[in-house]
Amino acid sequence: MADAPSGVRVRLWDGPVRLVHWLLVGLTGFSWWASDDHLDWHQWSGYAIVALVLFRIYWGFVGSGSARFSSFVRGPGATLAYLKTMRSRAPSTTPGHNPMGALSIVAILLVLLVQVGTGLFAVDIDAYQGGPLSDRVSFDLGRQIAEIHELSFRALQALVVLHVCAVLFYLVWKRTDLIRPMITGQRLLPSDPGLSRAPWWKLALGIAVAVAVAWALSKGLRF
Amino acid sequence: MTTLMSKGATLAVALGIGAVIAAGGAFAHNDPMPKGKMTPAAHAAHMRHENFEKLGAAFKAVIDETKKSNPDKALVARSTKAMATLTAGLPTWFPRGSGVEARAKSEAKANIWTDAAGFTAAASASQLQVSKLNQAAISGDMDAVRAQIRATGGSCKGCHDKYRQEKKS
Repeated sequence: MADAPSGVRVRLWDGPVRLVHWLLVGLTGFSWWASDDHLDWHQWSGYAIVALVLFRIYWGFVGSGSARFSSFVRGPGATLAYLKTMRSRAPSTTPGHNPMGALSIVAILLVLLVQVGTGLFAVDIDAYQGGPLSDRVSFDLGRQIAEIHELSFRALQALVVLHVCAVLFYLVWKRTDLIRPMITGQRLLPSDPGLSRAPWWKLALGIAVAVAVAWALSKGLRF
Repeated sequence: MTTLMSKGATLAVALGIGAVIAAGGAFAHNDPMPKGKMTPAAHAAHMRHENFEKLGAAFKAVIDETKKSNPDKALVARSTKAMATLTAGLPTWFPRGSGVEARAKSEAKANIWTDAAGFTAAASASQLQVSKLNQAAISGDMDAVRAQIRATGGSCKGCHDKYRQEKKS
Protein backbone atom coordinates (compact mmCIF):
# COMPACT_ATOMS: atom_id res chain seq x y z
CA MET A 1 0.00 0.00 0.00
CA ALA A 2 1.15 3.48 -0.85
CA ASP A 3 -0.26 5.16 2.22
CA ALA A 4 1.86 7.27 4.51
CA PRO A 5 4.67 4.90 5.53
CA SER A 6 4.65 6.04 9.16
CA GLY A 7 1.05 5.12 9.87
CA VAL A 8 -0.73 2.90 12.32
CA ARG A 9 -2.52 -0.25 11.32
CA VAL A 10 -6.18 0.29 12.20
CA ARG A 11 -9.04 -2.21 12.25
CA LEU A 12 -11.23 0.01 10.08
CA TRP A 13 -14.12 -2.14 8.85
CA ASP A 14 -15.78 -4.65 11.11
CA GLY A 15 -16.69 -8.14 9.88
CA PRO A 16 -20.41 -7.46 9.34
CA VAL A 17 -19.73 -4.41 7.12
CA ARG A 18 -17.34 -6.36 4.92
CA LEU A 19 -19.51 -9.46 4.75
CA VAL A 20 -22.63 -7.42 3.87
CA HIS A 21 -20.66 -5.53 1.22
CA TRP A 22 -19.37 -8.61 -0.60
CA LEU A 23 -22.58 -10.60 -0.20
CA LEU A 24 -24.49 -7.69 -1.77
CA VAL A 25 -22.00 -7.66 -4.65
CA GLY A 26 -22.40 -11.39 -5.21
CA LEU A 27 -26.16 -11.60 -4.74
CA THR A 28 -26.89 -8.51 -6.87
CA GLY A 29 -24.90 -10.04 -9.71
CA PHE A 30 -26.58 -13.39 -9.18
CA SER A 31 -30.05 -11.81 -9.11
CA TRP A 32 -29.32 -10.04 -12.37
CA TRP A 33 -28.24 -13.30 -14.00
CA ALA A 34 -31.21 -15.23 -12.57
CA SER A 35 -33.77 -12.62 -13.66
CA ASP A 36 -34.05 -14.13 -17.14
CA ASP A 37 -34.79 -17.80 -16.67
CA HIS A 38 -34.45 -18.60 -12.97
CA LEU A 39 -37.03 -16.48 -11.24
CA ASP A 40 -37.30 -18.82 -8.23
CA TRP A 41 -33.58 -18.39 -7.52
CA HIS A 42 -34.01 -14.68 -8.23
CA GLN A 43 -36.63 -14.54 -5.49
CA TRP A 44 -34.49 -16.41 -2.95
CA SER A 45 -31.58 -14.14 -3.72
CA GLY A 46 -33.92 -11.17 -3.23
CA TYR A 47 -34.97 -12.37 0.24
CA ALA A 48 -31.31 -12.61 1.20
CA ILE A 49 -30.78 -9.05 -0.07
CA VAL A 50 -33.78 -7.88 2.01
CA ALA A 51 -32.12 -9.31 5.11
CA LEU A 52 -28.72 -7.81 4.22
CA VAL A 53 -30.07 -4.32 3.50
CA LEU A 54 -32.22 -4.27 6.65
CA PHE A 55 -29.27 -5.46 8.69
CA ARG A 56 -26.96 -2.85 7.14
CA ILE A 57 -29.40 -0.02 7.93
CA TYR A 58 -29.71 -1.30 11.52
CA TRP A 59 -25.92 -1.61 11.72
CA GLY A 60 -25.67 1.98 10.50
CA PHE A 61 -27.20 3.03 13.81
CA VAL A 62 -25.70 0.55 16.30
CA GLY A 63 -22.63 -0.90 14.55
CA SER A 64 -18.99 -0.12 15.13
CA GLY A 65 -17.63 3.40 14.53
CA SER A 66 -17.02 3.32 10.78
CA ALA A 67 -20.31 1.51 10.09
CA ARG A 68 -22.50 4.26 11.54
CA PHE A 69 -24.30 6.74 9.31
CA SER A 70 -23.60 9.46 11.87
CA SER A 71 -19.87 8.89 11.34
CA PHE A 72 -19.92 9.40 7.57
CA VAL A 73 -23.07 11.10 6.26
CA ARG A 74 -22.30 14.81 5.73
CA GLY A 75 -24.25 17.82 4.54
CA PRO A 76 -23.86 19.63 1.19
CA GLY A 77 -21.29 22.07 2.59
CA ALA A 78 -18.90 19.45 3.93
CA THR A 79 -19.43 17.31 0.83
CA LEU A 80 -18.58 20.20 -1.50
CA ALA A 81 -15.53 21.07 0.57
CA TYR A 82 -14.36 17.47 0.31
CA LEU A 83 -15.09 17.42 -3.42
CA LYS A 84 -12.69 20.34 -3.88
CA THR A 85 -9.87 18.37 -2.27
CA MET A 86 -10.39 15.36 -4.51
CA ARG A 87 -8.18 16.71 -7.31
CA SER A 88 -5.19 16.62 -5.03
CA ARG A 89 -3.05 13.54 -5.44
CA ALA A 90 -2.43 13.30 -1.70
CA PRO A 91 -3.50 9.88 -0.42
CA SER A 92 -6.93 9.71 1.17
CA THR A 93 -6.83 9.39 4.96
CA THR A 94 -10.52 9.48 5.92
CA PRO A 95 -11.00 6.82 8.63
CA GLY A 96 -14.07 5.33 6.95
CA HIS A 97 -16.34 6.54 4.17
CA ASN A 98 -15.44 10.00 2.91
CA PRO A 99 -18.38 12.40 2.24
CA MET A 100 -18.58 11.37 -1.44
CA GLY A 101 -18.45 7.70 -0.52
CA ALA A 102 -21.24 8.37 1.96
CA LEU A 103 -23.46 9.60 -0.88
CA SER A 104 -22.69 6.41 -2.75
CA ILE A 105 -23.56 4.19 0.24
CA VAL A 106 -26.84 5.98 1.01
CA ALA A 107 -27.91 6.06 -2.65
CA ILE A 108 -27.10 2.37 -3.19
CA LEU A 109 -28.95 1.35 -0.01
CA LEU A 110 -32.00 3.41 -0.99
CA VAL A 111 -32.12 2.04 -4.54
CA LEU A 112 -31.69 -1.48 -3.12
CA LEU A 113 -34.72 -0.78 -0.91
CA VAL A 114 -36.73 0.32 -3.96
CA GLN A 115 -35.44 -2.77 -5.75
CA VAL A 116 -36.52 -5.32 -3.13
CA GLY A 117 -39.66 -3.34 -2.29
CA THR A 118 -40.91 -3.42 -5.88
CA GLY A 119 -39.74 -7.02 -6.25
CA LEU A 120 -42.12 -8.10 -3.49
CA PHE A 121 -45.13 -6.93 -5.55
CA ALA A 122 -43.85 -7.44 -9.10
CA VAL A 123 -45.66 -9.77 -11.51
CA ASP A 124 -43.95 -11.49 -14.42
CA ILE A 125 -45.25 -11.06 -17.99
CA ASP A 126 -46.61 -14.63 -17.94
CA ALA A 127 -48.43 -13.88 -14.65
CA TYR A 128 -46.97 -17.22 -13.59
CA GLN A 129 -44.40 -15.81 -11.22
CA GLY A 130 -44.66 -12.88 -8.87
CA GLY A 131 -43.26 -11.52 -5.65
CA PRO A 132 -44.61 -12.94 -2.37
CA LEU A 133 -46.93 -9.95 -1.93
CA SER A 134 -48.08 -9.85 -5.57
CA ASP A 135 -51.47 -11.35 -4.69
CA ARG A 136 -52.22 -7.98 -3.02
CA VAL A 137 -52.11 -6.17 -6.39
CA SER A 138 -53.84 -6.56 -9.77
CA PHE A 139 -52.06 -8.03 -12.77
CA ASP A 140 -51.80 -4.60 -14.37
CA LEU A 141 -50.44 -2.89 -11.25
CA GLY A 142 -48.06 -5.81 -10.69
CA ARG A 143 -46.75 -5.34 -14.24
CA GLN A 144 -46.23 -1.62 -13.66
CA ILE A 145 -44.35 -2.39 -10.47
CA ALA A 146 -42.24 -4.91 -12.39
CA GLU A 147 -41.33 -2.12 -14.81
CA ILE A 148 -40.26 0.12 -11.94
CA HIS A 149 -38.26 -2.88 -10.68
CA GLU A 150 -36.41 -2.95 -14.01
CA LEU A 151 -35.93 0.82 -14.14
CA SER A 152 -34.55 0.99 -10.61
CA PHE A 153 -32.14 -1.78 -11.54
CA ARG A 154 -30.78 0.50 -14.28
CA ALA A 155 -30.27 3.14 -11.59
CA LEU A 156 -28.53 0.55 -9.40
CA GLN A 157 -26.24 -0.43 -12.26
CA ALA A 158 -25.32 3.22 -12.80
CA LEU A 159 -24.57 3.66 -9.08
CA VAL A 160 -22.41 0.52 -9.03
CA VAL A 161 -20.43 1.69 -12.07
CA LEU A 162 -19.93 5.09 -10.42
CA HIS A 163 -18.86 3.41 -7.15
CA VAL A 164 -16.30 1.19 -8.89
CA CYS A 165 -14.98 4.14 -10.94
CA ALA A 166 -14.52 6.16 -7.74
CA VAL A 167 -12.62 3.32 -6.06
CA LEU A 168 -10.39 2.99 -9.15
CA PHE A 169 -9.88 6.77 -9.15
CA TYR A 170 -8.57 6.56 -5.55
CA LEU A 171 -6.37 3.61 -6.50
CA VAL A 172 -4.81 5.23 -9.58
CA TRP A 173 -4.92 8.97 -8.93
CA LYS A 174 -4.50 9.05 -5.17
CA ARG A 175 -2.60 5.75 -4.89
CA THR A 176 -4.94 4.78 -2.06
CA ASP A 177 -6.10 1.17 -2.09
CA LEU A 178 -9.65 1.11 -0.72
CA ILE A 179 -10.33 -2.44 -1.93
CA ARG A 180 -7.94 -4.35 0.33
CA PRO A 181 -9.29 -2.81 3.54
CA MET A 182 -12.81 -3.85 2.50
CA ILE A 183 -11.47 -7.43 2.35
CA THR A 184 -9.10 -7.54 5.33
CA GLY A 185 -10.70 -4.82 7.43
CA GLN A 186 -7.25 -3.37 8.12
CA ARG A 187 -5.95 -0.05 6.92
CA LEU A 188 -2.84 2.03 7.47
CA LEU A 189 -3.81 5.49 8.71
CA PRO A 190 -1.72 8.45 9.98
CA SER A 191 -3.27 8.10 13.41
CA ASP A 192 -5.67 5.81 15.25
CA PRO A 193 -9.18 7.30 14.94
CA GLY A 194 -10.25 5.34 18.03
CA LEU A 195 -13.27 3.65 16.45
CA SER A 196 -15.84 2.20 18.80
CA ARG A 197 -16.80 -1.47 18.50
CA ALA A 198 -20.30 -2.86 18.87
CA PRO A 199 -21.07 -5.61 21.41
CA TRP A 200 -21.79 -9.09 20.00
CA TRP A 201 -25.38 -9.16 21.23
CA LYS A 202 -26.29 -6.18 19.06
CA LEU A 203 -24.93 -8.10 16.11
CA ALA A 204 -26.95 -11.20 17.04
CA LEU A 205 -30.10 -9.12 17.55
CA GLY A 206 -29.70 -7.41 14.16
CA ILE A 207 -29.18 -10.69 12.33
CA ALA A 208 -32.16 -12.29 14.07
CA VAL A 209 -34.52 -9.38 13.27
CA ALA A 210 -33.33 -9.00 9.65
CA VAL A 211 -33.66 -12.73 8.95
CA ALA A 212 -37.08 -12.88 10.63
CA VAL A 213 -38.43 -9.94 8.57
CA ALA A 214 -37.05 -11.37 5.32
CA TRP A 215 -38.52 -14.78 6.14
CA ALA A 216 -41.94 -13.25 6.93
CA LEU A 217 -41.89 -11.30 3.64
CA SER A 218 -40.89 -14.44 1.70
CA LYS A 219 -44.03 -16.10 3.11
CA GLY A 220 -46.11 -13.17 1.85
CA LEU A 221 -46.78 -12.21 5.49
CA ARG A 222 -49.08 -15.22 5.74
CA PHE A 223 -48.46 -17.68 8.51
CA MET B 1 -27.72 19.19 15.35
CA THR B 2 -25.60 19.88 12.28
CA THR B 3 -25.02 16.17 11.73
CA LEU B 4 -28.77 15.56 11.91
CA MET B 5 -29.50 18.30 9.40
CA SER B 6 -26.83 17.17 6.98
CA LYS B 7 -28.05 13.61 7.23
CA GLY B 8 -31.52 14.87 6.43
CA ALA B 9 -30.24 16.77 3.41
CA THR B 10 -28.44 13.75 2.02
CA LEU B 11 -31.43 11.51 2.57
CA ALA B 12 -33.65 14.08 0.83
CA VAL B 13 -31.40 14.04 -2.23
CA ALA B 14 -31.36 10.26 -2.33
CA LEU B 15 -35.13 10.04 -1.83
CA GLY B 16 -35.52 12.50 -4.69
CA ILE B 17 -33.56 10.14 -6.95
CA GLY B 18 -35.84 7.29 -5.88
CA ALA B 19 -38.98 9.36 -6.52
CA VAL B 20 -37.84 10.27 -10.04
CA ILE B 21 -37.23 6.60 -10.80
CA ALA B 22 -40.63 5.64 -9.42
CA ALA B 23 -42.37 8.40 -11.41
CA GLY B 24 -40.66 7.26 -14.59
CA GLY B 25 -42.04 3.79 -14.04
CA ALA B 26 -45.55 4.99 -13.24
CA PHE B 27 -45.89 6.62 -16.65
CA ALA B 28 -44.49 3.59 -18.41
CA HIS B 29 -47.43 1.26 -18.62
CA ASN B 30 -51.22 1.31 -18.82
CA ASP B 31 -52.12 1.82 -22.43
CA PRO B 32 -55.88 2.05 -22.88
CA MET B 33 -57.57 1.74 -26.27
CA PRO B 34 -57.34 5.17 -27.95
CA LYS B 35 -60.60 6.91 -28.78
CA GLY B 36 -61.60 7.74 -32.34
CA LYS B 37 -60.92 6.17 -35.72
CA MET B 38 -57.91 3.99 -36.43
CA THR B 39 -56.81 1.46 -39.02
CA PRO B 40 -58.02 -2.13 -38.61
CA ALA B 41 -54.42 -3.21 -37.94
CA ALA B 42 -53.98 -0.64 -35.16
CA HIS B 43 -57.32 -1.67 -33.71
CA ALA B 44 -56.22 -5.32 -33.76
CA ALA B 45 -52.94 -4.42 -32.02
CA HIS B 46 -54.75 -2.53 -29.25
CA MET B 47 -57.39 -5.25 -28.85
CA ARG B 48 -54.61 -7.81 -28.59
CA HIS B 49 -52.97 -5.82 -25.81
CA GLU B 50 -56.27 -5.66 -23.90
CA ASN B 51 -56.87 -9.38 -24.41
CA PHE B 52 -53.43 -10.29 -23.09
CA GLU B 53 -54.08 -8.07 -20.06
CA LYS B 54 -57.30 -10.02 -19.46
CA LEU B 55 -55.52 -13.34 -19.97
CA GLY B 56 -52.78 -12.37 -17.50
CA ALA B 57 -55.32 -11.14 -14.97
CA ALA B 58 -57.31 -14.39 -15.23
CA PHE B 59 -54.19 -16.56 -14.84
CA LYS B 60 -53.04 -14.48 -11.88
CA ALA B 61 -56.48 -14.92 -10.29
CA VAL B 62 -56.08 -18.72 -10.61
CA ILE B 63 -52.58 -18.63 -9.13
CA ASP B 64 -53.47 -16.30 -6.24
CA GLU B 65 -56.61 -18.28 -5.39
CA THR B 66 -54.92 -21.70 -5.43
CA LYS B 67 -52.21 -20.40 -3.10
CA LYS B 68 -54.89 -20.16 -0.41
CA SER B 69 -55.52 -23.15 1.83
CA ASN B 70 -59.23 -23.09 0.99
CA PRO B 71 -59.57 -21.78 -2.58
CA ASP B 72 -62.86 -20.57 -4.04
CA LYS B 73 -63.35 -23.34 -6.64
CA ALA B 74 -66.04 -21.43 -8.54
CA LEU B 75 -63.74 -18.42 -8.92
CA VAL B 76 -60.93 -20.66 -10.16
CA ALA B 77 -63.23 -22.36 -12.68
CA ARG B 78 -64.59 -19.00 -13.89
CA SER B 79 -61.03 -17.74 -14.40
CA THR B 80 -59.81 -20.85 -16.25
CA LYS B 81 -62.91 -20.72 -18.46
CA ALA B 82 -62.08 -17.11 -19.32
CA MET B 83 -58.51 -18.21 -20.10
CA ALA B 84 -59.76 -21.02 -22.35
CA THR B 85 -62.07 -18.66 -24.24
CA LEU B 86 -59.32 -16.07 -24.65
CA THR B 87 -56.63 -18.53 -25.81
CA ALA B 88 -59.09 -20.10 -28.26
CA GLY B 89 -59.19 -16.74 -30.02
CA LEU B 90 -55.47 -16.00 -29.59
CA PRO B 91 -54.38 -17.07 -33.11
CA THR B 92 -56.81 -14.50 -34.58
CA TRP B 93 -55.26 -11.65 -32.55
CA PHE B 94 -52.29 -11.36 -34.89
CA PRO B 95 -53.49 -10.24 -38.34
CA ARG B 96 -50.60 -9.47 -40.66
CA GLY B 97 -49.51 -5.83 -40.31
CA SER B 98 -50.58 -5.49 -36.65
CA GLY B 99 -47.05 -5.42 -35.24
CA VAL B 100 -44.97 -2.35 -34.32
CA GLU B 101 -46.01 -0.74 -37.60
CA ALA B 102 -49.58 -0.58 -36.26
CA ARG B 103 -48.83 0.24 -32.63
CA ALA B 104 -45.41 1.54 -31.65
CA LYS B 105 -45.54 -0.05 -28.20
CA SER B 106 -46.42 -3.47 -29.60
CA GLU B 107 -44.09 -6.19 -28.37
CA ALA B 108 -44.99 -8.54 -31.21
CA LYS B 109 -41.89 -9.71 -33.05
CA ALA B 110 -41.78 -9.90 -36.85
CA ASN B 111 -41.10 -13.67 -36.74
CA ILE B 112 -44.74 -14.19 -35.73
CA TRP B 113 -45.47 -13.69 -39.42
CA THR B 114 -42.23 -14.88 -41.02
CA ASP B 115 -42.30 -18.09 -38.92
CA ALA B 116 -46.08 -18.49 -39.00
CA ALA B 117 -45.95 -22.29 -38.66
CA GLY B 118 -43.78 -22.10 -35.54
CA PHE B 119 -45.99 -19.41 -34.04
CA THR B 120 -49.16 -21.40 -34.70
CA ALA B 121 -47.58 -24.45 -33.05
CA ALA B 122 -46.63 -22.38 -29.98
CA ALA B 123 -50.15 -20.95 -29.78
CA SER B 124 -51.64 -24.45 -30.05
CA ALA B 125 -49.35 -25.69 -27.28
CA SER B 126 -50.65 -22.88 -25.07
CA GLN B 127 -54.28 -23.71 -25.92
CA LEU B 128 -53.66 -27.35 -24.96
CA GLN B 129 -52.13 -26.45 -21.58
CA VAL B 130 -54.91 -23.96 -20.80
CA SER B 131 -57.60 -26.49 -21.70
CA LYS B 132 -55.96 -29.00 -19.34
CA LEU B 133 -55.97 -26.32 -16.66
CA ASN B 134 -59.64 -25.64 -17.33
CA GLN B 135 -60.49 -29.38 -17.17
CA ALA B 136 -58.73 -29.64 -13.81
CA ALA B 137 -60.67 -26.63 -12.51
CA ILE B 138 -63.98 -28.08 -13.73
CA SER B 139 -63.20 -31.32 -11.89
CA GLY B 140 -62.76 -29.23 -8.75
CA ASP B 141 -59.43 -30.89 -7.92
CA MET B 142 -57.37 -27.93 -6.74
CA ASP B 143 -54.19 -30.01 -6.47
CA ALA B 144 -54.56 -30.90 -10.14
CA VAL B 145 -55.01 -27.20 -10.94
CA ARG B 146 -51.88 -26.33 -8.93
CA ALA B 147 -49.96 -29.06 -10.76
CA GLN B 148 -51.06 -27.74 -14.17
CA ILE B 149 -50.15 -24.11 -13.42
CA ARG B 150 -46.45 -24.65 -14.07
CA ALA B 151 -47.01 -26.24 -17.50
CA THR B 152 -49.44 -23.45 -18.40
CA GLY B 153 -46.99 -20.73 -17.38
CA GLY B 154 -44.29 -22.56 -19.31
CA SER B 155 -46.38 -22.46 -22.48
CA CYS B 156 -46.86 -18.68 -22.09
CA LYS B 157 -43.13 -18.26 -21.60
CA GLY B 158 -42.31 -20.59 -24.49
CA CYS B 159 -44.11 -18.28 -26.86
CA HIS B 160 -42.94 -15.03 -25.21
CA ASP B 161 -39.28 -16.04 -25.33
CA LYS B 162 -39.45 -16.56 -29.08
CA TYR B 163 -42.07 -14.18 -30.41
CA ARG B 164 -42.11 -11.25 -28.01
CA GLN B 165 -39.60 -8.41 -27.75
CA GLU B 166 -39.58 -6.64 -24.45
CA LYS B 167 -40.13 -2.90 -24.65
CA LYS B 168 -38.87 -0.59 -21.99
CA SER B 169 -41.04 2.45 -21.24
